This record gives sequence, structure tokens and C-alpha cells, in this order.
Amino acid sequence: MATAEMKPIDVPDARYLRSSRFSRIVNVAGIYGIAVLFIIAGAVLQGLGVINNFMTTRNFLNIIDAVALLGIVAAGMAFVTYSGHYADLSVPTTMALTGIVTVELLHYGFVPAVLAGLAVGLLIGAVNAVVVGRFRANPIIWTLAMSYVTMGVIRLVWVNRQIYPDVQTDNLRTIALFDGIFRLRLFNVVSLPVLLMILIMLAGHFLMTRTVYGAQLKLTGSARRTATFSGVNAERVVGIAFLLAAFTAAVGGLIITSLSRVGAWYNGTGYEFRAVTAVVIGGVTLAGGRGTIIGVIGGAFVIGLMNNIMTLIGIGTFSQDMIRGAIFILVVGINAKSLRSLGRDDA
Amino acid sequence: MSEDGPVVALEMKQVGKRFPGTIAVDSVDFEVYAGEVHALVGENGAGKSTLMKMLAGSFNDYTGEILINGEKVDLHTPSMAMKHGVGMIYQELSLADPISIGENIVAGHLPRRGVFVDRAALAAEAKRLMSIVGLDLDPDLPIEEISQHEAQLVEIAKVLGTNPSILVMDEPTSALSRDEVERLFAIIGNLRKRGLAIVYISHHLPEVFRIADRVTVMRDGKKVASRDIASLTREEIVQMMVGRSVKEFYSRAERTIGEVRYRVKDLSRWGFFHHVDLEARVGEILGICGLSGAGRSELARVLVGLDPADEGTMELDGTVLSGSGMAYYLAKGIAYLTEDRKSEGLALRLSMEDNILSSIVPRLRRGLRYDKRLGRTTVRDLVRALSIYPTDPAVTLANLSGGNQQKVLLAKWLAGGPRVLILDEPTRGVDIGAKVIIHEAVEKLAGAGNTVILISSDLPELVGLADRVLIMRQGRFVREMSYEQCTEESLLLAANGEESA
Repeated sequence: MATAEMKPIDVPDARYLRSSRFSRIVNVAGIYGIAVLFIIAGAVLQGLGVINNFMTTRNFLNIIDAVALLGIVAAGMAFVTYSGHYADLSVPTTMALTGIVTVELLHYGFVPAVLAGLAVGLLIGAVNAVVVGRFRANPIIWTLAMSYVTMGVIRLVWVNRQIYPDVQTDNLRTIALFDGIFRLRLFNVVSLPVLLMILIMLAGHFLMTRTVYGAQLKLTGSARRTATFSGVNAERVVGIAFLLAAFTAAVGGLIITSLSRVGAWYNGTGYEFRAVTAVVIGGVTLAGGRGTIIGVIGGAFVIGLMNNIMTLIGIGTFSQDMIRGAIFILVVGINAKSLRSLGRDDA
Repeated sequence: MSEDGPVVALEMKQVGKRFPGTIAVDSVDFEVYAGEVHALVGENGAGKSTLMKMLAGSFNDYTGEILINGEKVDLHTPSMAMKHGVGMIYQELSLADPISIGENIVAGHLPRRGVFVDRAALAAEAKRLMSIVGLDLDPDLPIEEISQHEAQLVEIAKVLGTNPSILVMDEPTSALSRDEVERLFAIIGNLRKRGLAIVYISHHLPEVFRIADRVTVMRDGKKVASRDIASLTREEIVQMMVGRSVKEFYSRAERTIGEVRYRVKDLSRWGFFHHVDLEARVGEILGICGLSGAGRSELARVLVGLDPADEGTMELDGTVLSGSGMAYYLAKGIAYLTEDRKSEGLALRLSMEDNILSSIVPRLRRGLRYDKRLGRTTVRDLVRALSIYPTDPAVTLANLSGGNQQKVLLAKWLAGGPRVLILDEPTRGVDIGAKVIIHEAVEKLAGAGNTVILISSDLPELVGLADRVLIMRQGRFVREMSYEQCTEESLLLAANGEESA
């Protein structure tokens, strides 16, 4: 039926129709390129004498440790965004509660305490999974409510107390293990959080791009109704995304609690927004179904470098928040505009 | 409209619009007179919708000039278009559900008394506009309580409230019954008398001949011609649309029909359909005909496990289907091509390959891994078999024309090698070329010993393809017609309940 074929219109432009492997690599490489630009900018600023101590081993270790914590949390968050559900705002309280529960239970031993902490984090994720995945509550409103409920539980049970590992148990080995584990450095360089980030990044990337779940998540995130009409159990797929976000938040909560040596309600504050920013500037669009975990980790690097340089310059916390917010708005705006200019995006 | 001096209400001069990869509208001249109904026809992807979107102010980067009542205007936003007197009535209605009819109609220019909405004036204005379209409804009624036909008339009333001089109607009859179409045509006739320039987009040529004064045919983004409708025949218009003569549309191949494959007994879903019996055989194309609202899609959803049945049994090759959920039915080889291509059938943002493979994702597994390469030959064969253009599997689906998107949708369901394929309006709104290809593929599927259940409002399609047609009315099968008994007329009469029982 050659006669029935649609006439090709303007063939030379056909290459714009496909998102080639090359352009995908450029997209991912792009965020790391920006990270490199930040490093160069830092070096230049140091050369000009605006900042000190940027190009030092110690500073880079600081940066990479901070990036690891953010990268881990953002990797899980990315699954929620990728599924088309924007963000999990219960991440900060999940981090706090995981840490508090773990410290509280340290007298049962290190491993049981950590497992209990992770379980509590996953429990929050499971509630989100059911309510957002199955009952289709608005993810932003629901997880916001969830974070208030969790915070309420923390304040109710522990009031304003901060709890310390060395108060919760007399076992010196458990204390040393909890306080020290995330300070361990392989070859005196690679800390355990960095190692964990790399593992989570690789596992997350594999899950998102190379598994049946990943393919179903992409379809669900791009067009949920179509996914349902293709035999995909979208409720389950979205639910798992929220469980993953809760899991990485719980791991992040353990790290932040261990590093600060205190379980407290404020651990994790601000991580929801920082994580979403990393996710979005890392190339996962709020419309869902686009981007990669490797890009997200790149986003975490950019944010980590930016924070570091701003702090070294002496920009105050509030101004830093303002700048981060502005960058988030800028990136989301550019994304939305570029999608719309295609004229046919259903996002 | 007087022959010597028609008033040109709208003039588009050498207008063009380019999307990445395609020129959707290419240097088109288009003129509409005041007081005429001007039909705009063409296959899908011919550029009709883009041309009209341009007029509606959807693009700020079109090329060429647009003149309204002789005055050059820039239509870069919808509000600019509205200000210059362009009124659009789309297939999908743009009414807000929980709000009253009156507020919908007068939205955008609510009458005020001080800071408050003047409710009496609002009701009066809504009533006045509704009377133009022959509606007499309480303006306080919420939109969700009126029928689709009434909602469409409300939509027209709403657009008339902006005092348009040009009214664009995009497939306004697609969801209407015959009586409703007649009423709509009477209203269009009235509007024409009031001096409006009406652009009427339709795939349905008999309608075009009924209502239009002139017709413009588009093909491949270009204008083929604008003519008085009286000077043309239906065949001539089709010829201009497709650029070739349409020969015998359905050349029916003989098929051998075998055992019962899908048997449904006493199936009900309360409120939608009741006590339905159905037997679809191996090698058979079983048609289901009925007006919208007869319960056809609801039946299909139960047949593929998307909705549970309230009573009754379903058997595949003599075995009762006991599982639930679409995945179970899909694994048994029962597939469902949905009616709504954009929101239920395809993921327009993903690639063609991702879309075609989306129905068989769980099968492309190698150990823990999902491996698209396992589906590569399937994709390549289907792209070739259905002449999908462009042929590159990595192309983003949104960039394909409607007809090619529909072919991708069919490919998606063919990919799994279905034993029972339920098609719900498989060729709605696609061009003739794509339609021929889809029909051939469906016949081939049945010819290879599979079962096809074809739900369609396209009567020639049912007449040409189906071995048997079941007539559905108000949730029940009321009649069965053999291939020999089926004609467009007999089906239409039966579906409307006008046949002698």
C-alpha cells in the first residue's frame, strides 16, 4: 500500500523528531559540565582572593560528603517526580523520625535499632503509597499533611527533647559504632555515605532504565491513564516510587543523625526542597517520565558546590535559600517553556 | 450572500506554521465571507486544525498575514483572537462542570453592580444568548445536569456572547444523534442569516454538502482549492483530499470461521448493560453497532477486565476466565484498543518504540532485566506492515500525524499477538490512507485465525468489515445482522430503533 503512506513533509528536519542517544548523553553530561563550571568558578574566585580554602582536599571532602547525603535523598525523590507525582514533602520528617527512633532504640543494639529506624521510615512511605498510589490523593497536599502528622507524633512523644546516643545506651561499642560508622573512609577518602550514594545511584539507574518496573514507571509517569489501559498496575507502580523515596529518606535520616550525633525533630529540615531542586535541575521534569538518576546525582553535585561557594563567600543562609529558590523557579520555567514550545506536549 | 459582492470577513494571506520536523501549514490563502458556511476538509494531518488554531491565537510565531473585516490583525494569544471577533467551538467542550449554565455562558464578561455580580442581568443575558441557539433552560442549572447536546449548544451560546464575526466549529456533530444534528444545522442556518462567517470542519462529507456554501480542501499542509459546494461532487472532494481516486474501498477476502473463541453469557454491569450474550468465533470479525451511550465501551471494558462484571460469565476457548484485572486478560491474549487515542491509548511524550512495546512490557524480560532489544524485530515488522511514517522507532509520538498515531496504537495491540482483539472506534478521525491500512491489518489478523470484536460508529466500516453485526441499544443487544443483511441504512435504522420489529 505505497499509495496510502503519509507524505513525508520537510524531511531534513526529521532528526529533531528523535531524542537521540547523543542528545541524551549531552543532557546528562550537561549537569556535570555545570558542576565543573562551578569548580572553575570557585578556583577563579580563590585566585582573585574573594574566597579562601576552596581548592583544598579538606573542602572537597566536605563538599562530597554533603553531596552524598543530598544525592541519596534526591535519588529516591526522583522516582516520585518521575512517576508524575511531583514530590514527597514528608521527606524531612521521615528523616527526623528515622533518626530519633534509631537512637531511642540503640540500647537494643546497633543493628536492631537501625532496622527499626528504617522500618519506621518505610511505614511512612507505605502510608503515602496507599493514599497517593491507590486512593489518588494529591501528592503535594497529602505528603504535606503527612509531614505535619509525623512532626506531631515526634513532638508528642519526644516533646522538644533531643536525644543522644550516649544517653540512650551504656554500651560504648554501640555508641562508637553509631557515631562513627558514617565517618568511615575507604582509603581515607571515600566515606561510607559516598559509597552508599554511588550504590544507590547505580541501583536506582538500573531500576529506572533496565527493569520491567522502570518501563512501567516511565509509562505511568508519562501517561497514567494509558498505562492503566495497557495492563499496568499503576497503583502499585506509584506506590513503589513513594516507598523508594521513603527508603532513601530513611537512609539519609540515619546518616544525618549519626553525623550530628543527635536525634532531633529538626534533622532533615529543608531536604524536601533541596532534593526536588536537585531532581529538577538534574533533568527529571515535573511532568514525569523524563530524566535519569545519574542526572539527579549531578544535580546534587551542583547544589553542593553552589552551597559551598556561597558559604565561603559569606552569603547568609536566608540569601542562599533565596538564590536556590530562584534557580528552582528558573529551571522549572525553562522546562515548561521548552515543552510547550514543542506545541504538542500533553504535559 | 449575493453573487456580485460578498463581504470578506476573514482573509488569511500566505499563512504558515512550522513545527519541529514538519511544516503543518504551508503558505495558505484562505478567505471566508460574511454570511456563509465555509467547510474546511482534508485528511488528518492536512493542516486544518493548525490553520484554525492559528486563527484562535494559539501560536505567536505563525508567518503571513491575517485580515479580519479588511483590517490586518495579530492573533498571538487567545484573548487577542477573541477581541477581534473569532469564536471557537471545539470538539471537546470547554465548560466548567460544577458551575451554572448562566455563569458559563457569561464567564469572561460577568455583569456587575458595584463589586458584586449582577445576578438578574446575568440570567437575562444568558437567556438571551440561549434563545439564539433555541435553548430554554434555567440559567441556574449546573452544567453537569444537562445532556451533551445541550452542553454543546450552551457552548455555542457562550461563544456568541463574545460577539464573534467569525465562528469556527470543529467536528461539532461527532457526539450528536441524528435529531440533534438536524437541530444544530437549523441553528447554524440562523447564525448564517445573522451574517456570521462560519468555518465548519468535518470529516463527514454528507454533512458538508447539507450545510456548507463553499468548501476549502487541504492536503499535506497546503490548500488544494476553495470552491462553491454546488460545483462539486462527493467523489471530487474525496479525490482532492487524498490526491488519488478512491477505488473499491473494501475488497473482502474470504475467511474461514471456526469454533467459538470468546463466549459471554448473561453478562451485566448494572446501569450500563444487562444480560448480554455474545459468541465471537475464531477467524471472525464481529461488529457491534450502537449509538453513543448504548453501552458499547462499557461492555468492552468488562470484556477486557478493566471493570468487574456484576453478573454473568466469560469463557475463552471453553475455559471460564476467573481472574481479574486487565493484566490477567492481556496475558490470556485479550487486548483492547481504546476509543480515546490521546488519553487512554498512547503516551504522546514517549517514543514510538516505547508506545508499541507498552502492551508487552512484562514479556521483554531477560533475568532481572527489561530488554527492549527483545522487541526490536516486533517493532520493525509492525512499522513496516502498517506503513507507519516516520519509520524511526525513536521518534517522539507527539510529532506523528493523527493517522500515524492511530497506526501506532494498533501496532501496540498487535505486538502481543492477541487471540481476541477488541477494537473501539479504531479509525475515528483518521485519514483515508490510514483507514485502509488499519482495515487491512484487522482483516489479516482475523484471517490468521484470531477473533476481532469491532465496535464502531462508522457504518461503512461495519458494513465492509464485519462478518456479523450485533445491534446494541440501551445496554442490550436487540438484533443480529449477517454480512448480507448489513447496509448502512439497515444498521442505522436498527441502531436508532426504527426498524420494523
